Amino acid sequence: MIYLDYSATTPVDEEVLNTYIEVTKNYIGNPNSLHKLGVDSKRLIDAATSSIASILKVKENEIIYTSGASEANNLAIKGICLKYQNRGKHIITTELEHSSVIAPISYLQSLGFDVDFVKLDENGIVDLEHLKSLMRDDTILVSIASVNSEVGVVQPIDKIASIVKGYPKAYFHSDITQSIGKNKIDLSCVDLASFSGQKFYGMKGIGCLIKKGKIVIEPLIHGGKSTTVFRSGTPATPLIVSLAKALRLSYTNFDEKYKHVEQLNFYLKEKLSELDILINSNNYCVPHIVNISLFDIKSETMLHALEQDEIYVSTQTACSTGNYSRSVFAVTNDKERASHSLRISLSHLTTKEEIDLLVSSLKKHIRELRLG
Amino acid sequence: MRVVKINAIWCSGCLVMNKIWSKVTQKYPIETLNLDYDIDYEEVSKYNPGEVLPVFIFFDNDQEVYRVIGEKSEKEMFEIVQKLGEYYE
Repeated sequence: MIYLDYSATTPVDEEVLNTYIEVTKNYIGNPNSLHKLGVDSKRLIDAATSSIASILKVKENEIIYTSGASEANNLAIKGICLKYQNRGKHIITTELEHSSVIAPISYLQSLGFDVDFVKLDENGIVDLEHLKSLMRDDTILVSIASVNSEVGVVQPIDKIASIVKGYPKAYFHSDITQSIGKNKIDLSCVDLASFSGQKFYGMKGIGCLIKKGKIVIEPLIHGGKSTTVFRSGTPATPLIVSLAKALRLSYTNFDEKYKHVEQLNFYLKEKLSELDILINSNNYCVPHIVNISLFDIKSETMLHALEQDEIYVSTQTACSTGNYSRSVFAVTNDKERASHSLRISLSHLTTKEEIDLLVSSLKKHIRELRLG
Repeated sequence: MRVVKINAIWCSGCLVMNKIWSKVTQKYPIETLNLDYDIDYEEVSKYNPGEVLPVFIFFDNDQEVYRVIGEKSEKEMFEIVQKLGEYYE
């Protein structure tokens, strides 16, 4: 089996899984309980939170655990907008955001919020001048992902943040799900950031919202005491501890892992250039994502053809109904190309041999499918 | 003029078009039935919306006279409605 869909989700790291199992077995107490078992669980969570805070260079009380990035995005967006709607009802985002960003914004639009989309340049990067022109006194939220999930374009979040900072009522939220564990990200400039553990070899079902300083958000889940008042529910001790482990592991040998993926990216692109296909990911993308287009072959057809050889890649984000990928269109300005795209996502676990097998499988299927 | 509008909450094109449609309906008296692609599935399936959202289906009494599929610019949308307005007259 050759797994090349690491941007969709990653296999759990063995050490992370062992941590999860050990904590599940040995720390049965509810961290909110006052007895020894509860205190032991709470200590473990505090240590995990401290470790995450130290890696991400944020404060411990700025970490809110969620069930994943979708919940974190919802909590950030609805939380800010519902809390501060008396200050303004204007939201800015891009058309390339994940559905868990678009959907809460659509919901807020139905409540009377005004939404604007910032334009992207020919490389898929946010047009900063257009962003400046969209900012208003009643803008309360700008939500832009640090890395696009389909083609991998990296956004200049520091520059976006400095524009937003000029408007004291506005907060900047970034979905960093596709960044974390892939490229080093400086969270000092953002007000809120969301991510999920399953994208960096952690367990599924745990994510985080980083909420800076004294920002207040309206909770989505009201209830009893938890690690924070902004998200109630019994803290999931094994998931939280395993998240800290996964994050620590993802930052171990970070540069070497990045370099390995970068070399694989060059190698893959070189090999793909021998085939009759187009590469959509550009020089502004993370090396972990290589998006390609096959003009006369439907992407789903190729996906299933590769599947026969036990090679797993993705078509456009599964939750985007439409006949073309907006992300690919943003970087190619070509609807035909955007409607025949495949995403190959790489990892430090990927080998050159796997790339060779992928390319020969692609070559074989292109020939077969074109012969019909 | 009566329009059945099919959207999904997660669809960015729908979000863009909601704003445009709101401007259109401020200018023209159009009765709009909003259907959610996922929630109103049974009702939606009667209209064969296909795979591209949003979908705007224009009716003359119970007869479909025009269909707009996917994202359009504000200018295009106003032109379509104006042209259909002439048809209805």
